[in-house]
Amino acid sequence: MVDTVPAIRLRRLTKTYGDAHALDGVELTVPEGSVFGFLGPNGAGKTTTLRILTGLARATSGSAKVFGIEVADAGNDVRARIGFLPDVPGFYDWMTAEEFLRFAGSLFGIAGSTLDARVESLLDLAGLTDVTTKVGGYSRGMKQRLGVAQALINAPSLLMLDEPTSALDPIGRKEVLDMIASLAGRTTVFFSTHILSDVERVCDTVAILDRGHVVTQAPIDELKARYGAQKVVVDVTGGVEDLVRDFEREAWASAVAHENHTIEVTVADVDAARRAIPAAVAARGVGLVRFEGGEVSLEEVFVDLVGGDR
Amino acid sequence: MRGFGAFLGKELREIARTWRIWVLPGIVLFFALSGPPLAKVTPQILESFAGSQPGVIMQLPTPTYVDAYASWVKNLSQMMVFAVIIIFGGLVTSETKSGTAVLVLTKPLSRPAFVLAKFTGALVLLTGSILVGALATWGVTLVTFGEAPVGILARTTGAWLAFGVVLLGVMTLVSAWLSSQAGAAGLGIGVWFVLLMLTIWEPSVHYTPAGLVNAASGVLMGTAPDLAWPLVTGALMVAGCVAGAVAVFSRREL
Repeated sequence: MVDTVPAIRLRRLTKTYGDAHALDGVELTVPEGSVFGFLGPNGAGKTTTLRILTGLARATSGSAKVFGIEVADAGNDVRARIGFLPDVPGFYDWMTAEEFLRFAGSLFGIAGSTLDARVESLLDLAGLTDVTTKVGGYSRGMKQRLGVAQALINAPSLLMLDEPTSALDPIGRKEVLDMIASLAGRTTVFFSTHILSDVERVCDTVAILDRGHVVTQAPIDELKARYGAQKVVVDVTGGVEDLVRDFEREAWASAVAHENHTIEVTVADVDAARRAIPAAVAARGVGLVRFEGGEVSLEEVFVDLVGGDR
Repeated sequence: MRGFGAFLGKELREIARTWRIWVLPGIVLFFALSGPPLAKVTPQILESFAGSQPGVIMQLPTPTYVDAYASWVKNLSQMMVFAVIIIFGGLVTSETKSGTAVLVLTKPLSRPAFVLAKFTGALVLLTGSILVGALATWGVTLVTFGEAPVGILARTTGAWLAFGVVLLGVMTLVSAWLSSQAGAAGLGIGVWFVLLMLTIWEPSVHYTPAGLVNAASGVLMGTAPDLAWPLVTGALMVAGCVAGAVAVFSRREL
């Protein structure tokens, strides 16, 4: 088995501004081919990390590698392989979308029929094919879509997006997320955000950054299973109060809540609960209408990890 | 220097398609077109004004093309200096403030190429504006006075342009260094003032770029000292400023 070089690898990465530590020993590995959500509250250090990865800022210490190349020493070698969309992209207002894409392509040395084909397909992807107005007249959503398109002009091996949906209305968010989702499997996407539902929708792997530290990194499903105590939801035909008392006495149940005929049990031992709950319902002589597992949401994981003392 | 050509192309198109094509050339053309007629009628205006004052008698020589050229030089040396400082104070900062620098500098455009393309684009704009202004001055002077020697106007304009390029070099440096256009303009005015002050010290006029500050009027009046050293040190100053701008901007975090 051949080890692949990760798209991004950060080791003990720090960035300080005076006494403030924006990044404090960040450790992160982004596998090639993943759609990676870089999650964290505002001020956690997400944008600083992206600025270092794109060469816009320098790390105070530590290592930041893209495809195995140290970013600080690489210059154009790394920039030629990445696409980047900052949180608030600045465009030349006097250009049209097509002109901007052609200009962006020319900075990569792309020309001729290759550039023509990419511009055409990216305008189509961004839904801007028939838009002839200048960028200065665009809505925020149109600018973000153009921002994603310009970041793809070089067919990048790694696409880095900084809060691409944070200032968009629901329709604009959906359009940008659809664009990102359509890239899955074609390029590595590293996507910073504080919007949990966006991550759940398009990302397969996530890292959570808090106050300059990566507090966890894992595939989303694994993260939910690892950090969230799982829940079991039970609907019964009667005897709810008795069943709640039965469950509260069990070692495998860490919390029990109920409403009408529905009982929600937070379980510490899923296997034990799966055996004991139907047995307890049968023992009480009531009907079992629904019995299903309910994993915790990413939001609960996030709050559990970073929200404790906020 | 990857990306220089593409980015310079953007700069030139931006000049052609935005307010930039109107402001600097507009100011220059205004002075060029209004200077000769004003030079022609100024003595009449002054004599008329003097005539209305009891006891004041004013006799002025008949104006010539030299007065028109002197008006052109005066406007370049005063108003154009401030126009250059203010307009080019945002040469680099306008791109860092608007976020466009972030978008292009995360592509294979090196920071030296970025700065050099900004300087080159501005140089084209400044030179083109001054040349068009000089041409207009020549034409209107010829029409107004029936005489307009080309050589002296070319040397006069060239002398000021040399100083204008020194100012542009300074503005490139301060604009790459500071994050505020107003701050860059303020510092540019400070540098201009220092150069102006240096003109009262004779050696600096002969050997430093300070000799270019009033060179245009000196050339017109035939009183300018040899400009070889000021031109050489001025060119070195421009090169130093642009190299400094590249160094400062390459270290700057965006």
